[in-house]
Amino acid sequence: MCEISTFRKRLFAIILGVMLFVNPLANAGEITIYSSLEDDEIADFLKVARKDLPGVKINVLRLSTGDLGARILAEKESPKHDIIWGWAATNMINPEIMAMLEPYQAKGSEQLADKFKDPGNKWFAATGYMAAFCVNTDRLQKKGLPMPTSWEDLLDPAYKGELIMPNPNSSGTGYLQIASILQSRGEEKGWEYLEALDANMGQYIKSGSKPCKLTRAGEYSVGASFAFIAMKSIKEGYPLKMVIPSEGAGFELEATALMASSKNKEDAKKFLDWTLSPAAAELYAKFKAIISVPGVEPAPEAKAAGLPADVSKVLFDLDFAESAKNRARILKTWREKLER
Amino acid sequence: MPAGIKKPGIHPDKLLLGIIGLCVIVPLILFLVFPIVIVFLKSFQVGDGNWGLANYTTTMVEKHFWVVVWNSLWLTVNVTVVSVLLGFVFAYAIQRSQMPGKRIFTIVAMLPMFAPSLLQALGLVFLLGRNGIINRWLGLDIEIYGFWGVFIADVIYAFPQAFMILSAAFAVADSRPYEAARMLGANKRQIFFDVTLPGIKFGLISSIFLVFTITITDFGNPMVIGGNFSVLATEIYNQVSGQMNFNLGSVISIILLIPVVIAFAIERFAGRKQEAFIPDNVNPLVPKKNAMLDTCMFTYSSILCGIIVLVVAIVVYASFVKLWPYNMSFTLNNYKFDSQGGYDPLITSVIVSLMAAFIGVVLVFGSAYVVNKSKNVIVDLLNFFSILPAAIPGMVLGLAYIFFFNDPSNPLNILYGTVFILTINSVYHYFAQGFLTASTSLQQISSNFDETSACLGANLFTTIKRVTLPILLPSILSVAVFFFMRTMVTLAAVIFLVSPSVNLAAVSVMLLDDAGNTTQAAAYSTLIILVVLIALLFLNLVLKLFKVKTKSLIS
Repeated sequence: MCEISTFRKRLFAIILGVMLFVNPLANAGEITIYSSLEDDEIADFLKVARKDLPGVKINVLRLSTGDLGARILAEKESPKHDIIWGWAATNMINPEIMAMLEPYQAKGSEQLADKFKDPGNKWFAATGYMAAFCVNTDRLQKKGLPMPTSWEDLLDPAYKGELIMPNPNSSGTGYLQIASILQSRGEEKGWEYLEALDANMGQYIKSGSKPCKLTRAGEYSVGASFAFIAMKSIKEGYPLKMVIPSEGAGFELEATALMASSKNKEDAKKFLDWTLSPAAAELYAKFKAIISVPGVEPAPEAKAAGLPADVSKVLFDLDFAESAKNRARILKTWREKLER
Repeated sequence: MPAGIKKPGIHPDKLLLGIIGLCVIVPLILFLVFPIVIVFLKSFQVGDGNWGLANYTTTMVEKHFWVVVWNSLWLTVNVTVVSVLLGFVFAYAIQRSQMPGKRIFTIVAMLPMFAPSLLQALGLVFLLGRNGIINRWLGLDIEIYGFWGVFIADVIYAFPQAFMILSAAFAVADSRPYEAARMLGANKRQIFFDVTLPGIKFGLISSIFLVFTITITDFGNPMVIGGNFSVLATEIYNQVSGQMNFNLGSVISIILLIPVVIAFAIERFAGRKQEAFIPDNVNPLVPKKNAMLDTCMFTYSSILCGIIVLVVAIVVYASFVKLWPYNMSFTLNNYKFDSQGGYDPLITSVIVSLMAAFIGVVLVFGSAYVVNKSKNVIVDLLNFFSILPAAIPGMVLGLAYIFFFNDPSNPLNILYGTVFILTINSVYHYFAQGFLTASTSLQQISSNFDETSACLGANLFTTIKRVTLPILLPSILSVAVFFFMRTMVTLAAVIFLVSPSVNLAAVSVMLLDDAGNTTQAAAYSTLIILVVLIALLFLNLVLKLFKVKTKSLIS
């Protein structure tokens, strides 16, 4: 009998302990961040952030752009996070999301050009990513294919079945690619082009980094993806070349914002300030194709991969408001015309 | 109480049955029915506060939608036929032949269940991809992305589960009908069709139903290797994840339910006439040596298991490779997980899986017991809800949990973001399979046991404790291990439920793969397989220690 009651007491203590341990409510000095930055970046950023912000416990959940959006909207009745960090600006300016944000003028945001921040101070973008082709030189050679330099080049029938790009319905990168094509060519010509490109397309795949990933493994010759993953793959030693389409690369800003529902705004603001601090800017140089914080030199990897010193010259000046506004319509048309 | 005097009122056995029933029905309603009802309601919600069919009509006018419906059905029918056939012959080989190496074959056949479904697709790409080993080696240009990729991956994914049910059905057999048939001069063909097949009819129907539902709702395989081949489950992902369109996602979920509910109805209808086919005094069937049959079965099993080993081994191999497929030198770097919380998610997964195993067994056997012991409307509903989870794609269940539990007005909101919600989610995600196994094994115990026990003066509690539980022990342990294994590898249901501090191993695999760290994803999968294998060895040890004789599959 005695044994049983001791056992029960212990069990109860354990259960209580576990419940306290996993208590979801945020404690003082603790912030939760949702982010769509790449995993490796987050790991590196947090190492420094935790050193610079002692006393703040930082939890980060990383999900891809689409997944994160779904989660934030699903949780909107009672958000679990204090900050959205490095999430596609096109998604951020969705009115439903904007309604959840609190204006805050982070220290250092005054140095950012206007296009890198919300006029109402609800978000700012310290960094961004740009579209780029990943070309597998090994496979290209085996198949005897020419090196493409532009979107237009990809219409060459020789590439039939050798191309891969993200499905814009699930991938932020995919949407920014077709948005830039439609804006640069005009909608009518743009759709004509996309339909012609469709004849060569091996696959529309669900995520933005996958085209590059499959290309670097030699599954396809050319993957329409983004610059970060291309540069990283080259550094890791894959037989890969990064090509920035000569029409200009579509790009996306990685926006950061404070949730109005945050229960620890004091620490959250400290983190927002940190993302614009010199220590953070130093890290951006290591990974980022687009850095809005002035005076940051791009990393050697970027140069080695063929990124020009002044990226603004190769960027297509995408109209974000336009691209966000037309999102539903463009995706619907894409599904009608091109979905397989 | 003096003998012979009985108070009128509820018989204590009925009361106990009622209490068990209550203990399984209440959580089933709270953690399954309510969230799913909310998904159902969402499908009719248009804008804020308006109701209507608009979500359905906009979905159904798109031509693409019908392509996806057709893809799903065509794929599922093919996978069901092939994997049930493969599983049937394999279960026959294991249970009814004297071929050597049965234990090894059994363990190998279960390998695909030890890892997230991402693993099969990863393995297939490493092997059969456009730049995979086989194409590079033979200089071919086999295209694996699309129907064939998903088909092969899903067959490998579904085969072990079909095998599990069929093997359980083959395992419990009485030798006397076979002897009788032989004495009456029946030939082998007649014995097979008139004795063997009827004996496993229930298992066969259950396995067809199970494979049908897990294939039509599978998300991982078409996601990785489907290419342009879309199915309903990936379409939900597109609607919700890409377009943030929860209402349309719920429409497709509801539509996905239709074929599964039909399959369910057929299974129930066919199963109704099933009688308990295990007599009380079983003479276990001991398969006789038959050189011809044994050789055929050994060859067949070797080929099947060879393919499975190949798919798993290539992933393990890739996890030790520097730069697949360009630099194949050995490295341990893939096991230094510097992102995604390192090894923490693996530990969390083990804790959650242990809890799911325990809670799952209790709830599943409770439900199966009540369903098998009494008949009324509430019990029919309990039966329906117990099998319903098989028809619910993990992703839908995950979303349903967010809608339901992240509502601050819900007192259960306190569970959100904890290991408990992950546990409960896993229990109900895999409830149907556990329930079917429990139900099958309970059905195979003749009710004569109970009657005899009752005649000897035992009450229901004593009968359960003394008779039912000991006979069931192997099944109970199998179901516990089943819950542990599935929870270790579950992905789609929990992707929306993990939180920064509480993450799971399978999600780490997906995130690593998503981030392009394929070989690290392979490494994390390898660790998951390792954990599951250790759990199985541990179980085996426990069984041996307590000298439990078991015909169970897993041990």
